[in-house]
Amino acid sequence: MQVSKNRLRENIVAYIFLSPILLFFTVFFAFAVGFSVWVSFKQWNMLISPFSAPNVGLWNYSSLFSDPLFISALRNTIVYAFTTTIAVLILSLLIAVALNNIKGAAVWRFIYFAPTITPAVAVGMIWGYLYNPSRGIVNEILGWFGIPSHNWLTDPRYALMAIMITAVWAGMGASILIFTAGLKAIPQSYYDAAKIDGASRVKMFWSITLPLLKPTILFLLVTGMIGAWQVFDLVYMMGTNAPASSVEVLSLYMYNTAFVDFQMGKASAAAMILFVIVLITTLLILKAFRKGGLESYE
Amino acid sequence: MRRVFWILLLVSIFLSFSAVAKTVLVIQTHWSDYQVNGIFNKSGKLIYPGLKQYAEEYMKLHPNIEIKIREVPFSNYLQQLIISHMAGKEADIYDLYSLWGVQLVSSHILAAPPKEIINAVKRNFVPASVKGATINGKVWGIPSEIDDYALIYNKKLLSEAGYTEPPKTWDELVKMARKLTKYNSKGAISQYGFAFLSGWNSAVVHPYLSLLYSLGGSMFNKSYTKCLLNNQKGVKALNEELVLFKEKATNSAGNVFNFPQNTVAMMIMAPWYVRSLKQAYGNQYTKYVGIAPIPPIKKPATLSYTWFFAVDSASKHKKAAWDFLKWFALQVQPKTNTTRAGDLEVNVISVIPPNKIDLRNHQKQLADLKVFIDQLKNAIPEPNVMQGAQIKTILMNQIVAAWNGQKSAQRALDDAVAKINSILARYYH
Amino acid sequence: MSKKRAKITEFVKYTSVAGVGTIMVIPFFWLVSASLMTLNEFISVPPKWIPSNPQWHNYVDVFQHIPFLHYYINSFIVAVSVTALVLLTSAMGGYAFAKLDFVGKKPLFRFTLSTMMFPAFLFLIPNFYLIKLFGWVSNYLSLIMPFAVSAYGIFLLRQFIMSIPPDLIDAAKIDGASHFAIFTKIIIPLSKPALATLAILTFIGQWNSFLWPLIITSFSPQMTTVPVGLSKLSLAFSTYTNQNLILAGMVLQVIPVVALFLYMQRYYIKGIVLTGFGGI
Repeated sequence: MQVSKNRLRENIVAYIFLSPILLFFTVFFAFAVGFSVWVSFKQWNMLISPFSAPNVGLWNYSSLFSDPLFISALRNTIVYAFTTTIAVLILSLLIAVALNNIKGAAVWRFIYFAPTITPAVAVGMIWGYLYNPSRGIVNEILGWFGIPSHNWLTDPRYALMAIMITAVWAGMGASILIFTAGLKAIPQSYYDAAKIDGASRVKMFWSITLPLLKPTILFLLVTGMIGAWQVFDLVYMMGTNAPASSVEVLSLYMYNTAFVDFQMGKASAAAMILFVIVLITTLLILKAFRKGGLESYE
Repeated sequence: MRRVFWILLLVSIFLSFSAVAKTVLVIQTHWSDYQVNGIFNKSGKLIYPGLKQYAEEYMKLHPNIEIKIREVPFSNYLQQLIISHMAGKEADIYDLYSLWGVQLVSSHILAAPPKEIINAVKRNFVPASVKGATINGKVWGIPSEIDDYALIYNKKLLSEAGYTEPPKTWDELVKMARKLTKYNSKGAISQYGFAFLSGWNSAVVHPYLSLLYSLGGSMFNKSYTKCLLNNQKGVKALNEELVLFKEKATNSAGNVFNFPQNTVAMMIMAPWYVRSLKQAYGNQYTKYVGIAPIPPIKKPATLSYTWFFAVDSASKHKKAAWDFLKWFALQVQPKTNTTRAGDLEVNVISVIPPNKIDLRNHQKQLADLKVFIDQLKNAIPEPNVMQGAQIKTILMNQIVAAWNGQKSAQRALDDAVAKINSILARYYH
Repeated sequence: MSKKRAKITEFVKYTSVAGVGTIMVIPFFWLVSASLMTLNEFISVPPKWIPSNPQWHNYVDVFQHIPFLHYYINSFIVAVSVTALVLLTSAMGGYAFAKLDFVGKKPLFRFTLSTMMFPAFLFLIPNFYLIKLFGWVSNYLSLIMPFAVSAYGIFLLRQFIMSIPPDLIDAAKIDGASHFAIFTKIIIPLSKPALATLAILTFIGQWNSFLWPLIITSFSPQMTTVPVGLSKLSLAFSTYTNQNLILAGMVLQVIPVVALFLYMQRYYIKGIVLTGFGGI
């Protein structure tokens, strides 16, 4: 009796804590998504009322898969999402660990956070200089190793790669910060005990730091992946001179479909397809972490 | 005492009503900063009025009218227009790019102008601009700006290579471009003989269409049911561009910042770029920058596009809106023999005014744009076709693919035409 | 011998941290430097790194061209409000999802995650409808409320609160603490590094937000925020106009973010203190 009363109380408390969130999602999320699903079956140019827009059934969905640019966008986004998420994760973990017990940590952290606060326009401009085919420093450095010059941002073979490198550079700041917060949550006493046992730094990293960071890693993997699937700014800024098929990503494709082509229905359909892909990816990641013996973390 | 109270009450009711009755006109524009706020000298005196000062002048003349200016950056202009129109918060007056107009007209978002305005536009404006503001055979507004394309060249780089004159034919341009292209020690282009711009659809498509027009070609058939670009003329125009790409004498990595760095000898550009170059070169401008007609393949030709003032069909004050536009863009001021819009376009915005009287009476201020103005006689307006921006982007993607060697000219244009025709089929029968 | 090795390790560590750090900070450095350049220096190739004659007046000019202070205040109102709301709702949601047991927990959590998976452009039109419906168009609520809850924040806090040892909470429960007391006395203090991180990231996101504020403030210009205000300096089809002012404006835009970041460093102190609750 007592137990079930406690249960009920815990349920009530939980829903009180969640009530503002649920209210918010009902208002600002459910309506928009419901509206978009409805529109995805219509040919709606946003200039007439959606009610008077003709119903086209699944035409928006089927037309996407017969559009080679959509297929390219899908392919490029997959490459982009997996490569940048994993690269950011590994590099920012290494940097966060290196910065954790360093002299002047606050200053170093600021330096590594600088890309995150530098306005996107400046980032695009300076990376444009770095990638400049005739005077850029990238070709200069590669030249020392006898690698020939390339037009990094226009050559269809390299443009996406060049953008991904910048994306990793720009994306590490937030991850380093989150890893830092995660590292700070690990009690120092664990390390002290391990030191007494004579464990090496590498050993401590594998047996203390990494396992205890798993919730953080899961978080960064999931949110990094979700974010990367929706990459927009960098490609919008740096990918404009390359052939579209080599750099087009889904979010750019959807944005242009909506606001250049006036096909909100088709853009919404693409968003639904993106949603399904991201959802499946996320569930697979969550499942993988559960299999790794981390029931409690998921 | 009581009577005083009643009188006061009546007066205040009347006043509040008259305040409510004030007609509010919202003008949406992509202009900003001094273009709206006017140009002042160092001691704070107004030299050239901006849009705001004209609005204030009009409000003084018509105390029952209040004008609000809604500044929206060019890149978000259409998006903002769509969202505000959907939510019933539309502006009354827009300054619109002609290509956007097609979609807006077909969705009944623009109001048809009064007959007298249509007649005045047809009578007083440059033919290319009238065609630009014409959609489905009807004029939909008052042209506010006309642009065409010309060859912009670096005098210094040309003379260093022994050229005293810009090229007269496209063949000559290709020959000169080869000689003017320089490479660094690792084989990358360090100086463009001729640079093709990329990055936005007009930069790629407009020069190509100018070449197509020089060959006497056309993008569509008369009824817009077919795209014609994969015919012999369309393919030839693209192949003329590809000559330099195939020899690695140019690439698509050039951008608008390269010219003032003196690393571009020649490029095809619109008048707005002249403004940027004047800023970058300062008093060195005339020493470096030369402008000439686009060297023709066959006959002289250039593409033009238009901006025009239009009124929203949902506006509650259409008549007041047209009245303002009439005063602003059509009425000739006796003192200067120019229009107010013309003064603003010439002195503040630095674009070519489409009204003939402004072109005639602003010659001194327009001296730098003389070549562009002269070429208006050879200008063929960008076709006002449904889904114009989408079609242009499709064409850009295929042209850039051809530039980068991913496709042959024929194949790229075949692919573009297939896609474009499927779009046209939805709107034109 | 091992001391020498440790020294070498230290040396390698510091040089690599500094080397990579240089790459990270260069664009930021260039931005500050370029904001003091003349137009000719700015467009020179290869890029100049130090202005020969710093143009400090660029900064003064920004304030003369646009009501920058006014934009600053607007941005502060919006970014601080959103950050406060996000911290509160994320901590509440994170606590519920991490430490409470209730019916529908798993599906609700997955639903929360799924709200991140739709692209932002989808929400533009429907949310503008809602804002108009609520009568918020010329009200700061239109800039604040659509961002008051962050699934990202809830997820972040959930992950951190999960790693708080259950013994602490159990001990408090035995002492008769309510769920609310546990939340304020244990969860919040122990989540400070995570909350600080979320505060920084949320604040930056709001401070730099462009598209939504642009659309809202085109109707109510008195609420114009800094990034939207700066965009009024750049002219369509004019590559160089006001370039120096825009760069100076960007530096001014970045300053509060830098200040916040440095201030929040106090929450990244070594390890968390567990002793107050009897240790583990």
